[in-house]
Amino acid sequence: MVATGGLRFFTDRSSDTNEPILDTDNGEELMHLQPSVAIVLGNHPPESPGTLYISTKQVIWLSDTDRTKGYAVDFLSVSLHAVSRDPDAYSSPCIYSQIDTGDEEEDDESESSDSESDETLDISKITEMRLVPSDPNQLDALFEVFSECAELNPEPVEEEEEEHNWVFSADQPGLEVGLDEVDPDWDSSQTTFSTIGHSNGNSDLSRNVLQLHINDQRFEDAEEMESNNSNGGHQ
Amino acid sequence: MLFFSYFKDLVGREVTVELKNDLAIRGTLHSVDQYLNIKLENTRVVDQDKFPHMLSVRNCFIRGSVVRYVQLPPDGVDIDLLHDATRREARGG
Repeated sequence: MVATGGLRFFTDRSSDTNEPILDTDNGEELMHLQPSVAIVLGNHPPESPGTLYISTKQVIWLSDTDRTKGYAVDFLSVSLHAVSRDPDAYSSPCIYSQIDTGDEEEDDESESSDSESDETLDISKITEMRLVPSDPNQLDALFEVFSECAELNPEPVEEEEEEHNWVFSADQPGLEVGLDEVDPDWDSSQTTFSTIGHSNGNSDLSRNVLQLHINDQRFEDAEEMESNNSNGGHQ
Repeated sequence: MLFFSYFKDLVGREVTVELKNDLAIRGTLHSVDQYLNIKLENTRVVDQDKFPHMLSVRNCFIRGSVVRYVQLPPDGVDIDLLHDATRREARGG
């Protein structure tokens, strides 16, 4: 979820060439440059003139007139892109794209950012972006570059297994320590418990004990006497 | 890779791709890659009232990670082949 950051401001441009500074150390390369492109964020009015830069990692739009204005979105956050030509949907042919803002973050940010940014639009919540080249004939080429670069950015492998391991390994020492601590006490208390428990609770055992007593020679007389007494009593 | 090969067989067929944001797009499967990114042609949005902005789109590229379901043509599944393939996949070969 953190990886899908949505749209963000981009002002990191070279002072000489005015081109965006890319993360070349990590292998980012410029794949396509398209001058004279307007950008439309959500339902906001188009911003132009600008230049579109497509790198192996992201889409960057930089204003031609305002050096402090620029936007970028990682291909990881571009869920879908398409060529839009129907004038009913949008007045000019464009590349239409949907941006994954990461729903979970959206809720958290909505409250905090409302107070902070009254003037600037909260671009991290923009879910639709249109790129309108002045020359509509470029659309198919742009679409192909988009597709090519999107394929260069597969979803990073989520290391869920590691997380599970971590949870388990955190639990296991706790359990072991707990058992170690309890074991001696538990054992001793159980021993006393069981002796008491057996004589009291286990009826089979107490019967056995009784029979042992009965078979014991020393009690034979007493029993006879008892039975005699009882017989006598009956008679 | 099972589903990659599987979807490759469906190229040229009519499918409906449902995204995790509830957008459902019907179109001809143009291509699919190993990440299950999907290119559709002759697309139309299933629920046009809900997503009017997609009306104009005739072809699109969908990022594999945002796909929830792909609805297939009923006769688009070679069940025997799929059985064999899943067994092979399960054996790790």
